[in-house]
Amino acid sequence: MSKSQFHTLTIDLSTGSNSVGIINNDVMQKYLGGSGLGAYLLYPELSPDLDPLSPEAPLAFLTGPLTGTSGPAVARSVICGKSPATGIWAESNIGGFFGTELRKAGVDVLIVRGRSAAPVYLCIQGSQVELRSAAHLWGAADTYQTQVKIKEELGQPAARVACIGLAGEQQIPFALILCDHGRVAGRTGLGAVMGSKNLKAIAVRGRGSIHLDNPSKYAAIRARANRELKDDTVSVSMRDLGTSSSSDLFDYIGLMPKKYFSSGSLDGIDKVSGSEMAETILSGISACHGCVIACGRKVKLKDGIERKGPEYETTIGFGPNLGITDLSFITRMGEICDRYGMDTISLSNTIGLVFKLFEDGLITSKDFSGDEFRWGDHASVEKLVHQTVLREGLGEIIAKGARALGENFDSPNSAMEVKGLEVPYHEPRGASGVGLVYATSPRGACHNQGPYYLVELGQTIEAIGIDFFNRQAGAEKVKNIIRHQNWTSVINALVMCIFANLPPSDTRKLIQYATGYEYTLNDLLLLGERSWNLKRMINHRLSPAGIDDSLPECFKVPLAEGGAAGYVPLIDGMLLAYYEERGWDSIIGMPTTEKMQELGLDSLSEGLSLQ
Amino acid sequence: MAYPFPSDEWLQVLVEVLNSDERYAEVAENWEGDMTVVIEPDDGSERQDLPVAVYLDLWHGKCRSARFIDLEKEELPDAAFTLRARIDHIQKLFTGQLDPIQAMMTRRLRVQGNMGYMLRNVPTVLDFVRCCQKVPIKE
Repeated sequence: MSKSQFHTLTIDLSTGSNSVGIINNDVMQKYLGGSGLGAYLLYPELSPDLDPLSPEAPLAFLTGPLTGTSGPAVARSVICGKSPATGIWAESNIGGFFGTELRKAGVDVLIVRGRSAAPVYLCIQGSQVELRSAAHLWGAADTYQTQVKIKEELGQPAARVACIGLAGEQQIPFALILCDHGRVAGRTGLGAVMGSKNLKAIAVRGRGSIHLDNPSKYAAIRARANRELKDDTVSVSMRDLGTSSSSDLFDYIGLMPKKYFSSGSLDGIDKVSGSEMAETILSGISACHGCVIACGRKVKLKDGIERKGPEYETTIGFGPNLGITDLSFITRMGEICDRYGMDTISLSNTIGLVFKLFEDGLITSKDFSGDEFRWGDHASVEKLVHQTVLREGLGEIIAKGARALGENFDSPNSAMEVKGLEVPYHEPRGASGVGLVYATSPRGACHNQGPYYLVELGQTIEAIGIDFFNRQAGAEKVKNIIRHQNWTSVINALVMCIFANLPPSDTRKLIQYATGYEYTLNDLLLLGERSWNLKRMINHRLSPAGIDDSLPECFKVPLAEGGAAGYVPLIDGMLLAYYEERGWDSIIGMPTTEKMQELGLDSLSEGLSLQ
Repeated sequence: MAYPFPSDEWLQVLVEVLNSDERYAEVAENWEGDMTVVIEPDDGSERQDLPVAVYLDLWHGKCRSARFIDLEKEELPDAAFTLRARIDHIQKLFTGQLDPIQAMMTRRLRVQGNMGYMLRNVPTVLDFVRCCQKVPIKE
């Protein structure tokens, strides 16, 4: 086996057949793995006519060259395809142990096509691949029960299972894929794609080793990087307090939205934080494979049962976003969503829109059996969560997402979404870079492509020219944001956790000793830029009417109070500067021919034009 | 007037600032936590006076006591927080050239202690740094 080869396994659920393959070295060297490689592999199939819920739609599970190696925070894998929520590029990465197990089974990339005639789950045990009936699980087992039952059936307690819940079976466009102790690929609705294929779960058990080009040198860098990462300030606060560790800080500087982005303050906000969780309901912590950060939370509520604690997005989404400050309630909503298999960001965002439209008088109680939807009302939130997955009452409209709900009530501009993907809980009026990231992320409103809010807090990376700018600066920080996006694309190729604050030189060496490929930091930034541009090309192809990079209207109105009071990001000017700096045309934001040539993407440009 | 850093004169003026600043008294009203700041030499430094540590007993918006610690003769006190940074980074922090959150995010300023308490009291932390910046440092 060549040191740099990635092995693929392709399953056709319509026929039950499978095939294996190898990705050639040139492609690996250009994309490395993860979502960049996914974009390259899926590019030929992603057409505007492709129904993402059709048998023809591909669904790819990709690892990276470091996945499963016990390197620093490299347990993640990524799932890619066409989003049923947005109609454009979809990617969502997932932690836990699933990616590691895939690689141990000798599968670096898994591509699923077709549709099974009846519900099945896919089993990969080393070289043994089989489809088993999931009829007894379909409509009957939630995401945690599904994992338990499949492991029992296989007699493999150490197997790892990625699965969908009722939401995926119902093809709700924000259905997620869950594995292990509640690690999810939450965004862009890829759980619905699995559901459309009648694929309930993928179970993997691998016993192989993961190839490294230079194991001893890799081990030395890995050990040092893990030691440094363990002591990093972000790591320490994540380990002590979870991903909600910075909630208080976010609130103070205006990065935390409240009441569907309509307010800058909320009574009792100090009750919603990682600190509060640690002092009240926290019972333990959890980690992905080999991760020294261990950001996962375990909590105990009044029933005494230990369960997953909510991470930041769920905490704010079902908390301050809805006028709620009760961590126990938020925990329960997170668990219900996980069991149903629904993305907490998209669902809490859409429920937030219900509350906002009710406040504005556009939804009335007489329309929905006397139900009222007022900020802070726990009962109505819980009822809507259940109604959504069952598509009952108002839940039938919520299940289509925020954009559809806004349009349904003649208030499309009220929906907090970009390109059809609901906005997560980082307020761009508190940090303009977050706004530009939302506008330009290849999957719609996303805070992780890249996680520029970390730079806005001060997490600079001088070695690759990523500096600290005033949080409310405008076009002058666009170049900085682009470099950060390009570097994040490298991280996504690996697929490394975004919380791993490593020196780029260590990342470069880890890649070298894992793959044998020697890159300079500039080579890696170019690789990231290539991936970013390829996803942009995919989105142009999937959006014949043009890509809409605009932000919700709400962000053009300053808040009256709180840390972001009086400020709006000047997104139009930032976007113009962004297109220019990216080497895209200034009207529609298409990579120019010269840019495609520079990145070696010109051979893929067929069917794209500057119309 | 600017003061050598670190020095007894600098520390004395800092205590006076902390105990006379009305805004700090208000913002830090509920703060209960003493702190040791370990000032380390920068790369290639030949300064013989470093590392050195400063102990500050911060309590409800006041500084109850402050002193230098001779690290050759004395163990670091068991303070609620221990901060460590190179002298050049601390000087940048205290002259407004380095954002305090950025300093922590980039490991220039390393913090040991209850992160939850510190993050719950971000305004107090930032205002403490503002007070430090009120004491001019001699280049």
